Amino acid sequence: MKHKLLEGPLVVNEQQLMFLKMTVNGKVVEIQVSPTEKLVNILRDNLQLTGTKISCAIGRCGACSIFINGELANACLLMAYQVNGKEITTIEHVGDKTIDEVQEAFLKEGGFQCGYCTSGMILAVKSLLVKNPNPTQSDIKEGLSGNLCRCTGYGGIIRAVQSLIKQN
Amino acid sequence: MEFNVAEKEGRVRPDGHSKVTGTLKYLTDLTFPNMLYGKVLRSPHPHAKILSIHTEKAAQMAGVEAVITYKDLPGMNRFGIVIPDQPVLCEDRVRYVGDAVAAVAAVSVEIAEEALKRIEVVYEEYPIIDSPEKALHPDAPKLHPSGNILHRATYKNGNVKKAFEQCQFIVEETYELPRQMHAYLETEGGVIVPEKDGGITVYAGTQHGFKDRFQLSRILGMPESMIRIISSPMGGSFGGKDELNIQPYGALLALATGCPVKIHNTRPESVRAGLKRHPMKITMKTGVDEAGKILAHQVCIIADTGAYATLGPAVLDFSVEHAAGPYIIPNIETEGLSVYTNNGVAGEFRGFGGNQITFALEGQIDRLSDLLQINPIELRKKNLRKVDDLGPVGQRIAPTDGAAHVLAGIEKLVGEGSKHKYDAKWKRRGTGIAIAMHGGGLGFGRLDSAGGRLSLSKDGKIEISFGFEECGQGLLAVIENLVVEELGCSTEDVEIVIGDTALVPASGSSTASRGTSMVWQALQRMKQPFKKKLIERAAKLLDYEEEDLTLGPSGVWHVNKTDAPCMTYQECASLFNDSCTVLTSFHFPTTPDAVNGGHFLYAFGGVKVEVEVDLLTGKVKVASIDHVISAGPVVSPNGYRGQIEGGGVMSLGYALLEEAKMVNANYVAENFDSYLMPNIVDVPFETNVYAIEELVEGDAYGPRGVGEIGTISITPAIIKAVHDAMGHWVKKLPISPEEILENVELKGMLEWT
Repeated sequence: MKHKLLEGPLVVNEQQLMFLKMTVNGKVVEIQVSPTEKLVNILRDNLQLTGTKISCAIGRCGACSIFINGELANACLLMAYQVNGKEITTIEHVGDKTIDEVQEAFLKEGGFQCGYCTSGMILAVKSLLVKNPNPTQSDIKEGLSGNLCRCTGYGGIIRAVQSLIKQN
Repeated sequence: MEFNVAEKEGRVRPDGHSKVTGTLKYLTDLTFPNMLYGKVLRSPHPHAKILSIHTEKAAQMAGVEAVITYKDLPGMNRFGIVIPDQPVLCEDRVRYVGDAVAAVAAVSVEIAEEALKRIEVVYEEYPIIDSPEKALHPDAPKLHPSGNILHRATYKNGNVKKAFEQCQFIVEETYELPRQMHAYLETEGGVIVPEKDGGITVYAGTQHGFKDRFQLSRILGMPESMIRIISSPMGGSFGGKDELNIQPYGALLALATGCPVKIHNTRPESVRAGLKRHPMKITMKTGVDEAGKILAHQVCIIADTGAYATLGPAVLDFSVEHAAGPYIIPNIETEGLSVYTNNGVAGEFRGFGGNQITFALEGQIDRLSDLLQINPIELRKKNLRKVDDLGPVGQRIAPTDGAAHVLAGIEKLVGEGSKHKYDAKWKRRGTGIAIAMHGGGLGFGRLDSAGGRLSLSKDGKIEISFGFEECGQGLLAVIENLVVEELGCSTEDVEIVIGDTALVPASGSSTASRGTSMVWQALQRMKQPFKKKLIERAAKLLDYEEEDLTLGPSGVWHVNKTDAPCMTYQECASLFNDSCTVLTSFHFPTTPDAVNGGHFLYAFGGVKVEVEVDLLTGKVKVASIDHVISAGPVVSPNGYRGQIEGGGVMSLGYALLEEAKMVNANYVAENFDSYLMPNIVDVPFETNVYAIEELVEGDAYGPRGVGEIGTISITPAIIKAVHDAMGHWVKKLPISPEEILENVELKGMLEWT
């Protein structure tokens, strides 16, 4: 990531809590949390944004994928002090009013079953296509290799991505 | 990527929108006012005596609301669907590293975790029994009062000994299958809420809500009527959430504190406590005459069932039943043992013992075809069952030509040749095929009742209700599609109610590839009476003849009027003075022959794979997969395709990557960094599914479920393809790159020039 780790000096109060200020889905959020609280917990527990899932909690499965300043990242690997001043986007902000083309493609092509990897997978696909609107097979593999899906065998996900390439 | 059945235009799964937008609330996403967090203390030892448990220090911690041990159990301190032999909280002995000893409810996860550390348990370690061989030793300590054999299952027909004497070729091999993890992305969890009447509501995923209610009733000493189970949706299960997991602890803690209690296993907790696929060692001796007719088949299965029973006996029965698969073998002797050890508990997992036994069986067929120098498809044809043949354990089954259809489909694909070119000097390509037969439903002698309900809701929806769960398999789409097809209404008219014991009729479990079958059969029973009720009432009110009315999109239509319904469902709901409810209750179709666990309805699947063996790294890569499936009509095209593709890849993992290895009865891998399952890199983009929808004429059983059949034949097909590539037979999964490299070396396959 290109941005600095910390936007400003880290200040904690007597309870060892920091004032975290970040933008989540376009809204400024200010909360008191431990500097080491994981972003995935802040999103799910403090902000009730449960579209971001937790599965391995070690950055392997990608179920907690979010955008931080537009870059794909695992929310289970980011701590509060690292996201201070940052812009976070979660699945709830994708297709806020009407669903977007990636979501549409997942629906049409059967890009999900249980749906638990889907939030993260959709963000990973968006990230892939933003950077590369015409990905090859190996680009798709590389772009989505951080996101595990146990249900689909990836077939529907691959078809969803490929249908978007055709549209392009 | 091909599939021969197109999805209906514009049709998306009923739960689709909420899944792609992240708005669907899984049960582990729920929060309630005053909610506490529960944690379970599990044994650090695979086998030990508990000398003492002291919880005082934990209980004194600020923020800790309850600490429970076996002393706090109001009812039966045991669970297990078939044989309740697993303690909810261990009294005096632990038998595996997932055994629960105490549980805590606290105001935060952190405090609950800290409290676990302050519970003092003194153990005296016992010798560890970490293999069936050790467990079966005459001097082995008994893990359970009945000894170390959980279950023995046999099937015999003809005279194997005599038949082997007449064989021209005999192949004997021992196959080893690993402990596979379900690895559903949503770990076990949910919230248990105490209710004002003293009862509880359990929001936690399971594959049979009513069974959880029954088991919890025993544990809590509480009438079933006071327990409500909300069991759907789930982030995957594959059999793994069929047994109770966190529910008893959440329920006990909720009752102890009077507060809602959430427990959501971390991945390491899930790995440690959760079920796995049975590791099996299968020895098969199979003999053929010179023409390739199989005369004799002798099978010995040893399954490591781990510390407790769960559905271990039924899994073994399934393996024994499927030992001959789709082949007619006149002399057969199969013996299976499911053995208790101190390893992790093995139980229900998609494929249910069929994966292991079919791996061995198809391995035998391929080795025999190699010996006989007969084409593997020809050899299969010679021995294949015919439409009216008995089932694999001599029982009468629904007539089926699925085996022949699938084999013909595979033969056609093989005839089309390879889709790939050799692309590197250090790689060898190979092709393999395999077929499988897989029973649906629970089998003879088991309570396997089903049922459903149709009614007109107050707001004018056609409400269809089942006691099933949506684990991800796509049951909601199956229900919606079938209701639309059978009643003629539109998707907007349908309201589906599942997964809540307070609202649904008993339908049996969401397991054993039975859901689609049961929904279809329930609708066959309910559609006419329901249509009749609606039409009768509408005809009376409108003064039409009943025979002029029919159900259609949005309402009841007059046959001569095509622009709009003559009475919308909303109007029906407000004008009728009842809900037109139709209920049905029936049993899954079973064989009339008293063969324990024997099935009646079977699905068939075949696979052709191409693999690439890297001679430098020993890695095997699957380059293409073609599935041919015979399971009756396709109800939900995207769902069907997804089950087959996804099941195939799950078993690609079983063949190449996955093993929940245990050393000294401790799990070696505790998360997805070291338990490797397929990611997108491991999957061929060249994956095709061909559904054969045809059933035997007069078949009255409709679509069969396809939740499991896609997982069975791919594994032996990969082994055959590896042999085709390099002439080496693998008999142990997952395929070890070291073993491949050793054989590359032995065979002098690499030229260093």
